[in-house]
Amino acid sequence: MKIVPKDNAWRRANWALLIAIIGVNMYVIALPFLPTVSYRWQTTHKTPLIQNNKPVSVAKASVILAKENPRAFHADAEHDGLVIPRMLLDTRLIEGPEKNSFALLNMGAWRIPFASSPDKGGNTVIAGHRFSYTGPRGVFYYLDKLRVGDEIGLWYQGKLYTYQVATSRTVPATEVSVQQPTDDTRLTLYTCTPLWNPKERLVVVAVPKEAS
Amino acid sequence: MSEKTKFFILLFLLLLSIWLLWYLQKNAQSILLG
Repeated sequence: MKIVPKDNAWRRANWALLIAIIGVNMYVIALPFLPTVSYRWQTTHKTPLIQNNKPVSVAKASVILAKENPRAFHADAEHDGLVIPRMLLDTRLIEGPEKNSFALLNMGAWRIPFASSPDKGGNTVIAGHRFSYTGPRGVFYYLDKLRVGDEIGLWYQGKLYTYQVATSRTVPATEVSVQQPTDDTRLTLYTCTPLWNPKERLVVVAVPKEAS
Repeated sequence: MSEKTKFFILLFLLLLSIWLLWYLQKNAQSILLG
C-alpha cells in the first residue's frame, strides 16, 4: 500500500481552496457584466425579437416568447405585466404600497402607487432595479437600449396599453418631478444609472401609440 | 510557512469571499448598483 505523505494532502486541499476562492470571486466580478454579453449575443445571433436592429411589435414578441418558453411568466389579459421587445423583456407588474418599496423593487417592475395607472390616464410610473445579485436580475438592466419610437406594451387589468418611446434622458437622483402627475397620458419608466455608481436616474417616457 | 498554516489562511479567504457574495446578495444591490 502506498503511503501518501501528510504534507501532500494539505497541498491538495490548498489547491482546492485556492480554486474555490478564485471561482467565487470571479462569479462576483463577472455577474454584473453577464447581461451585457448575453444581450449582445442574443441580438446578433439568436433572438427573433430584434431583426436588423429593429424590435418586433409587442403582439409578435408575446407570441414568440410564449412559444419559446411556455412555462415562464408571460404578461397577458390575465397577468398584468410589461412587454418590451427591444429589452427582451416580458415581466410581471409588481403592485404594492410605498412602505414596502425596497422589497417590491427587488421583486421586479414596481408600479409607483401614488402615481397614476394606465386606465386613469396621466403619468403611470414604473421603477425597477438596474442590476441586483438577487433575482430577477435587474429587470431594467437594458433600459438604456430603448430608442425613440420603440414599442412598449403594458397589460393592466385585462387590457393591453401600447406606448411608443418619446424620450430617454438622465436626471439627478434628487429629481422627483418624473413621478409627478401630468395632464397628458404617458408611461414613465426609470432605473438607476450609471451601473457602478447610481447617482443618477435613467428616465424613459413613452406616450400612447395612437397619440404619437 | 507550513502547508497547514496556508490551509487555514486560504480557508479564511474562502469564507470571506462567500461572505462577500452573501452580503452583495442581501444588502448591496441598491447601494452599489441600483
